[in-house]
Amino acid sequence: MRVLLSWLQEYVDITDPPEVLAEQLPMLGLGVETWERGDGDVIFDLEIASNRPDLLSLIGIARELAAWRRRQVRLPVDTLEETDPPCHERGAVEIVDPVLCPRYVAHVISDVTVGPSPPEIASRLEAAGIRPINNVVDATNYAMLEWGHPLHAFDLETLADHRIVVRPAAPGEALVTLDGIQRSLDPAMLLIADVRRPVALAGIMGGAETEIHPFTRTVLLEAASFAPWSVRRTSRRLGLRTEASARFERGIDPEGVLRAARRCARLIARAAGGCVLRGAIDAYPAPAPRPTITLRLARIPRVLGVRVPSDDVVAILSRLGVETSRDGEILRAIPPVGRRDLEREEDVIEEVARHFGYDRIPEAMPVEAMHQGRRPPRLEAESAARDALIRSGLTEAMTVSLIHPRLLERLDLDADDPWRQAVPLANPLTAEHTHLRPCLLPGVLEAARVNVNRRRQAVHLFEMGTIFRASAGGVEEQRALAVAMRGRWLIGDWNASDDGQEVLFYHLKGVLEVLVGELRAGSLSVEAGGPRWLHPARAGRLFIDGTALGVAGELHPAVAERFELPGRTYVAELDLDELLRRAVLQPRFAGLPRFPAVRRDVAVVAPRSLPHAAVEAALRESVGPLLESVELFDVYMGPPLEEGMRNLAYTLTLRAPDRTLTGEEVEEIIRRVHATLPERLPVTIRT
Amino acid sequence: MSDDLDRIVHDTLAALRQVQSPEALASLRREILGRRGRLAGLMKTLPSLDASRRAALGARLNEARTRLEAAIAAREQELAAVASVRRLDAEWIDVTLPGRRGPLGRRHILRRTLDEVERIFMGLGFEVVEGPEVETEEFNFERLNMPRDHPARDTQDTFYLTDDLLLRTQSTAVDVRVMIGRTPPMRFVTSGRCYRRDTVDATHMPVFHQVDGFMVGEGITFADLKGVLATFAREMFGAGTRTRFQPSYFPFTEPSAELAVTFADRWLELGGCGMFHPRVLEMAGIDPERYTAFAFGLGVDRPAMVRYGIPDIRLFWENDLRMLDQF
Repeated sequence: MRVLLSWLQEYVDITDPPEVLAEQLPMLGLGVETWERGDGDVIFDLEIASNRPDLLSLIGIARELAAWRRRQVRLPVDTLEETDPPCHERGAVEIVDPVLCPRYVAHVISDVTVGPSPPEIASRLEAAGIRPINNVVDATNYAMLEWGHPLHAFDLETLADHRIVVRPAAPGEALVTLDGIQRSLDPAMLLIADVRRPVALAGIMGGAETEIHPFTRTVLLEAASFAPWSVRRTSRRLGLRTEASARFERGIDPEGVLRAARRCARLIARAAGGCVLRGAIDAYPAPAPRPTITLRLARIPRVLGVRVPSDDVVAILSRLGVETSRDGEILRAIPPVGRRDLEREEDVIEEVARHFGYDRIPEAMPVEAMHQGRRPPRLEAESAARDALIRSGLTEAMTVSLIHPRLLERLDLDADDPWRQAVPLANPLTAEHTHLRPCLLPGVLEAARVNVNRRRQAVHLFEMGTIFRASAGGVEEQRALAVAMRGRWLIGDWNASDDGQEVLFYHLKGVLEVLVGELRAGSLSVEAGGPRWLHPARAGRLFIDGTALGVAGELHPAVAERFELPGRTYVAELDLDELLRRAVLQPRFAGLPRFPAVRRDVAVVAPRSLPHAAVEAALRESVGPLLESVELFDVYMGPPLEEGMRNLAYTLTLRAPDRTLTGEEVEEIIRRVHATLPERLPVTIRT
Repeated sequence: MSDDLDRIVHDTLAALRQVQSPEALASLRREILGRRGRLAGLMKTLPSLDASRRAALGARLNEARTRLEAAIAAREQELAAVASVRRLDAEWIDVTLPGRRGPLGRRHILRRTLDEVERIFMGLGFEVVEGPEVETEEFNFERLNMPRDHPARDTQDTFYLTDDLLLRTQSTAVDVRVMIGRTPPMRFVTSGRCYRRDTVDATHMPVFHQVDGFMVGEGITFADLKGVLATFAREMFGAGTRTRFQPSYFPFTEPSAELAVTFADRWLELGGCGMFHPRVLEMAGIDPERYTAFAFGLGVDRPAMVRYGIPDIRLFWENDLRMLDQF
C-alpha cells in the first residue's frame, strides 16, 4: 500500500518527520518496505498483514497513527445533496446467493460529464500507484484508497433493464474484462450481471461493455461485500489480481458498504457534476450483527506477562474505535466497522499489546523445572555418524531435495530400480525441480561435477538427507547417506607420483568400515556385484550383520562421463536408517588384555578369483576362539607365482584371556591352520 | 731405551693429531698399543734388563700406555663427534617446503548453524523432535488456523504432491504433531527443511531451513517468549545483542511478532513468533483457558548469509569446496 503523507495528514494531525514515522509504523505492525521524498511530499510503501483489510486504506492507517499520538481521526465528508427521482426508480438489484454477496448497495448519479479528474485527484492516485482514467472512475479509486472499500461504476444505460443481478456464472459464459481480455467463466465464479449477460467479475474487475466512457450520462455506482474465499478462488483461477480483489480477499465488512458508497457518490458528483438520485438501493438480506467480545482484564497479564492498567486498556481500545463498557473485571468490546479481524479475546489483547508497546513488555524466563533438553537417539546417532565421516576426511554437502528425472537418467537405472519411482510435484515451479529425490547420489555427483569443473580434482563429499518414495499410504521418507570420493587423498603432496596418490575403492571402503565401527553397529560385509551404474568388476553390495545396507563401488565410466567426471570416482549410497538403528552410542569398557599376545604370520597362495573374505573366514574358523585378530599385510602377484595366482599374507594375533599361551599351544594352532586351510579352500600354504 | 719410549709417546701424540678417520685411528692404536705394537716391543726387552732398571722402565711403560690410551680415546670421541655432525648435515631438508596435510572434513555451514541453534535451545531445556517434510493440508494449514482459502496461504505458495499431500511450508506443523496427545508442560524444538514455490534468485530457494520451537504451560506469557528468544539471541550472536519484537500477523499466533536482532550495527530479521492462538491449542486438545503457549519459527539460511557475509543463497547448495572449506 503506497501512502502519500500529505494525503494521510488530511485525516489525522501527524507532524512527525518521516524518519520517525518509518521507525514507528513497524512498531504498530505496519511494515515499511521503502519510503522516499519527492515533490515536497513523502511516499511510504507499507506492507499490510493479510488479516487487516482496513489498513489497505488511509483512514485505517490514520486510525493507527491517531491512537499512537492520542489524536482524533477526521473522517471524510459524505453528506449528499440528493435529487428526485428516487434511485430505485432508475435501477434495481437482485442478489441470488447472499452467502456469496451479503450486501450490494447502488447509487445512481445522473447527468454526469465525464472528463479528466482535477489535477490534485489525479496526482494523488498516481502517487498511490493507480493510473487516472476519468473523473468517475478516479472517484471510485479515490474513495477506495480512503476507506479501503473497492467500488465500481457502470454506465447505467448499458445495463439491460437497468437491473443488477449478482449470481454465479452459468457454464460456458464469458466476459471481456476492462483490460480487454476475454475471460471464460465457470459456475464457481461469482458475477455481476444484468438480465442478459455478465457485466463484471464480482470483486475483481468490471466488464468492458458497461464501463464508463466519454459520453456516459448516468452512473450506477456499486459498493458491495463478497465472500472473501469466493473472490480469492476466482482471482487465482483467472490469474487476475487487482486492487479490488486484494481487499475483498481479506474480507470487507458489509457494515461499511453504505458509508463508502455515500462518500464515493459525493466525490463523483463533485468531480463530474451530475445529481445523486435520492436514496440508495441497499440489498442486505441478512444484516451481520456486530460482535461483542468479552475481555477479562485478568487475562491480559496471563497472556502478555505484564499488567496494563485498566484505564490504559480502555483508552487504547477507544482510540482504535473499539466501543467498550466495563463490568467489574470484564470489559465488553464492540469493534469498529471494518475490523472483522477482531473476533475473540486474544485479538483484543493483541490490540492492547500493540498500542501498549511490545518493547514495554519485559523479558522474563519461564518458571519451569530446569533440565537440559535432549535429542532423540536417532538424531544422536546421525550426529555421531556425521562426525565419523568427517573425522575420516569427508566434507558434508547439502543438496536440494527437488530434482529433475533427467539427473536420474544419467545413472542408466534398471527398469525395475526403485529409484525410478521419484514422487512428482503436482505443481512444479521450474523445469529443474519437478520431483522429490528418491536417492542422494545424483545430487552429490552434481556437487562433485561443480568442483571438477572449477578445477578442483580432489573431491571427497558425503550427504546425509531425506529421500522420498511413493508408498501405499502416500509418500515414505527415509534417511540416506551418499558418498563420492575422487582424486588425491593428501593435499600438498609434492613429490608423489600422480597415480600413486589417487584414492582407491579401498579408501571408500575404509571410510565405511570406520563409520560402521565408530557406531558399533555390527559387522560390515561386502559381496561383489552391484547396480548398473557401478563398474561391473568394481562394485559391491554392503551388508550389516547380513542385512542389506547399500552399495559401493567405482562409478561406471559411462555414468561418470554423463556427470562430466573424468577419471575414477568411487561412490556409495546407504540406507542410513538401517545403519543408525543398530548404532550403540554408549559403549562399555571391554577391559585391557592382561596376558600377552602371540603373533604369527601365515601366507597362502590362492587363485586370484578367490576373495580375501573367504580366506579370512577360513582362517578364523580354523584358529578358533583364541584368535584376536587377522590382519592382511601383503597381496602379491607375479613371478615366481603362476599366472592367475596370488599370495596373501596374514598376521594372526592369538591371545587367551586368562593365561599366557604356551609355545606348544601356538604351534598346535598353526599346524591346524596349515593342515585345514588347503582342505577347505583351493590354496597352498607358503612356508 | 727410555729415549725410545719418549719418542714413541711423542710420535704417537703427534700422529694422533693427524688422524682423521676411525680406521686410521684403529691402525695407529694397533701400531702402538697392539700385541705386536711398539710398546709391546719395548716390554719384551724388560726381562733382559737388571732389576732396578726393569722396575723403573716397567713403571714408565705402564704410565705411557695409560696416557696414550686416554689420548686415543679422546681423539676417538672427537672424531665421532665430527662424524655425527657430518652425518646429520647430510640429512639436510628444506623446512620451507609445503607441509603434507591429511584430508580434513567439515560440517556443512548450514548444518553447523542448525546444530548451534539446537544446542542453545537444548540448554534452555527444549527437547529436540523431528517431523515429516511431506505434510497434509490438515497439519500444515488447517490445524494452524489457516482453513482453505485463508489469504495467509498466499504468502506460503505451496508445492503439492496430491490434493491433500504437500511439502511443508513451515516446520510449525511439527509443533502440532507433538502437542497432540501430550500433557503440558512441554517445550520442544525442531529443525529441518521447508519448501515454498519461490523462484530461485540470490535470496530465494524453493528449499530452506527453519527452526521451530514452542513451550506450553500454565503460566507461559509473551514476556517469557521475549526472555527466551533474547537469551537465545545473546548466546548465538554475542552478549551485547539487542532484540526487537515488532507486531506482525500469523494465523496461528495471537499476539504475533517479528523478531530481529542487532548484528554488525544493523537489524537482522530472524523470524516470527507469538502466543499460540487458542484455536490452535484447542485443535491440539489442549485447554487454552488453563494453558498458554508461545511459539517461534526462525529462519536459518538468510540469517546465516548475513552472519557469514555470504552474498548469494545458492552458494549453500552448490557445495563448492572453496566455499565449504572456509567454515
